[in-house]
Amino acid sequence: MSATLERTAPAVTPRRLTPAKDSRKLIRGQVRAGWLFLSPALLHSAVFIVIPVIAAVVLSFTDYSFGDSWAWVGFGNYVDLFKDQDFRAALVNTILYAVVVIPVSMALSLAVAIGLNQKIKGLGFFRTAFYIPTVTATVAVATIWLWIYNPSSGLANGFLSLFGFAPGRWLSDPNTALPSLMLVGIWQGLGTKIIIYLAALQGVSRDLLESASLDGASRWQKFAHVTWPALGPVQFFVLVTSIVGTFQVFDLVYVMTKGGPGTETTVLVLDIYQNAFQALRLGFASAETVIMMLLIAIFIGLGRLLQKADVND
Amino acid sequence: MRRGAKSGLVVLAAVLGLAASSCGNGVIDKSTDGVPPAEATGTLRVLIPSFPPSTKGRAAFEKVVEDFHQTYPKMKVEPDFATYSTLNEKMSTSIAAGIPYDVMVTGVGWIQPFASKRIFADLAPYGVTPQVIEEKSIGALVPAATYDGKLYAYPLVADARAAALRISAFKDAGLDPDKPPKSLDELKAAAEKLTVKNAKGTITRSGFDMAAATSFRQTYTTLLASTGTNLYVDGQPNYSNEKGLETLNLLKSMANHVQPYGQQNAAQQPLVLTGEAAMGIVGGAVDCSDKGIGKKNCDDLKFFRFDSGKEVEFVGGDLASIGSRSRHKEAAWSFIQSLTKPSSLDAIAKLNKKLPAYKDAANSPQAKSNPLSKFVAEGLPLAIYEGGSANWLEMRANFDSQLTQAVLGQKDPAKVLANLAGQSR
Repeated sequence: MSATLERTAPAVTPRRLTPAKDSRKLIRGQVRAGWLFLSPALLHSAVFIVIPVIAAVVLSFTDYSFGDSWAWVGFGNYVDLFKDQDFRAALVNTILYAVVVIPVSMALSLAVAIGLNQKIKGLGFFRTAFYIPTVTATVAVATIWLWIYNPSSGLANGFLSLFGFAPGRWLSDPNTALPSLMLVGIWQGLGTKIIIYLAALQGVSRDLLESASLDGASRWQKFAHVTWPALGPVQFFVLVTSIVGTFQVFDLVYVMTKGGPGTETTVLVLDIYQNAFQALRLGFASAETVIMMLLIAIFIGLGRLLQKADVND
Repeated sequence: MRRGAKSGLVVLAAVLGLAASSCGNGVIDKSTDGVPPAEATGTLRVLIPSFPPSTKGRAAFEKVVEDFHQTYPKMKVEPDFATYSTLNEKMSTSIAAGIPYDVMVTGVGWIQPFASKRIFADLAPYGVTPQVIEEKSIGALVPAATYDGKLYAYPLVADARAAALRISAFKDAGLDPDKPPKSLDELKAAAEKLTVKNAKGTITRSGFDMAAATSFRQTYTTLLASTGTNLYVDGQPNYSNEKGLETLNLLKSMANHVQPYGQQNAAQQPLVLTGEAAMGIVGGAVDCSDKGIGKKNCDDLKFFRFDSGKEVEFVGGDLASIGSRSRHKEAAWSFIQSLTKPSSLDAIAKLNKKLPAYKDAANSPQAKSNPLSKFVAEGLPLAIYEGGSANWLEMRANFDSQLTQAVLGQKDPAKVLANLAGQSR
């Protein structure tokens, strides 16, 4: 029995592998393993990111509206988009929202993170308190802020009345609706940024800070010449995630104002949603999505340029 | 190609093939049309915002299913208790996914746009014609359910609106509560008299609740129709004219003068019912019990309809349609028949505080349950509705934003109406 299982090894001439061949073979194996491990993520990205992006681009050149028939319209949707006043309003509002919310929330988060990086009493409480808005569902946050902004019984007007100010109409006043939403957006986005900044601050070299102290550097000089440069990569990360987050703001606006009054708080994603699922103009909404993707890319590119300029300085 | 890469591709193709086959064939049944009802099998998918997904709502829906099962005992019914705010998402995603609903219950403004996209089926093959609706249901809803001369929906319940005034507020302002304002001019004059402001000029009680915290669309449609001008005539816009402008200017003159723009209470109840407004637009029912606004409050209310040349009552409602791509059209029609039995309609009406869409709605249990429902039931023959164009779903949002801009003085009302008319064509 065993004889049948045993095989005589074929007489082969032993190959002598050179070190270079050895390493190439090893690298090939590593590459194969790398692809194998990457494949689930790649498959996921292909199904949920690449295919939808391609579909959105293709649909943007059609007049598809869930009906039986559709036709190629070339750049017709793009031409119509720039004639559409709701889109123009959404574009302006989104850029305004991003331009205000991103720098203010980044600056505030950094300031709070620096504060929380000190040895102060109740550190755990403050860290938790600042992070709570981030883990709270946006719909719940928006509902609470709706009450705060309520013109007749809200906390905001109650607070203002203590100082003799006239009550504001906040979300129903065209002049204050968008700034009121920006305030909520800034407040809600602080937590995540604070945590990232806090981690980065704790990674700043103690040796460098100590050396700077020994050289007589002031607090501000230490921050400007040691801490700030060390935060560079983190700043870029926070900037990119903030750009994506602010351009994709939807739930807050949907719950609090539905884009009103008029189009004062209409933002791109809300307009895309309304065009796609309320007006059922999927081709038109896809063109709007493509524009939004390009806009996010441009803003991230600008952020990268700023980052490079900062590093070169 | 290397063996590893080849086998990888085979596995990938198998996975994708499996996914495609499960999407393509696993969900869609074989057609049951032409199959005897007793032998038909499959799943009837029903999109229905008329039953709240509560225990009571589900129980009422089950009764409809039981009735349907007497004809189609082997068919499974899969309900989707959507809300009106999610209706379009549900319908569009089901169409895009290739698994459209068999029965779709939508609102008045949905029928013509979806009929024009051939998403709803013509009901004529099932013997339902405009004449049948005139005889058995609410005749005033026939135009809303008709597109290109064909009927695409069967009314289930009517969601009517009226206006109400506070008798005490009228008397305090020196007005006769037995002579409610009818024309646009009378409405404005009475609203101004009824508005109460404090020393700082802040409105403390609105003279007229326009029910337009988020949109002026329905109020504008109602007031415009009361001048004898329908929003659309034969699918063409009919508001960029003198009457249209007069109506929009009326709303503009009242915003922030007789009512602060955006005013609504926490419960989002009509403000006239709670006394926060002296007069205003109300829904189709009022709870006069202690759990609601109470008898004393109810006795202080008087209901009326706008009549600036034509007495009208704004009516929306739930209407049932058959999906044009349904593979169970006959079963879908049978389900609609179960859904439109008087007992089912009464249950839907009670659950939603709307009126059953059968001929004698004024004598329905819902109409008899409170004075406001009785009042609006009597006004159903005067019904007017919003919409009237094939692109109404698109126009709805345009009306919402642009009318608000005109009312708040951000845009010229005449230009807004001209722009809307241009977008409607």
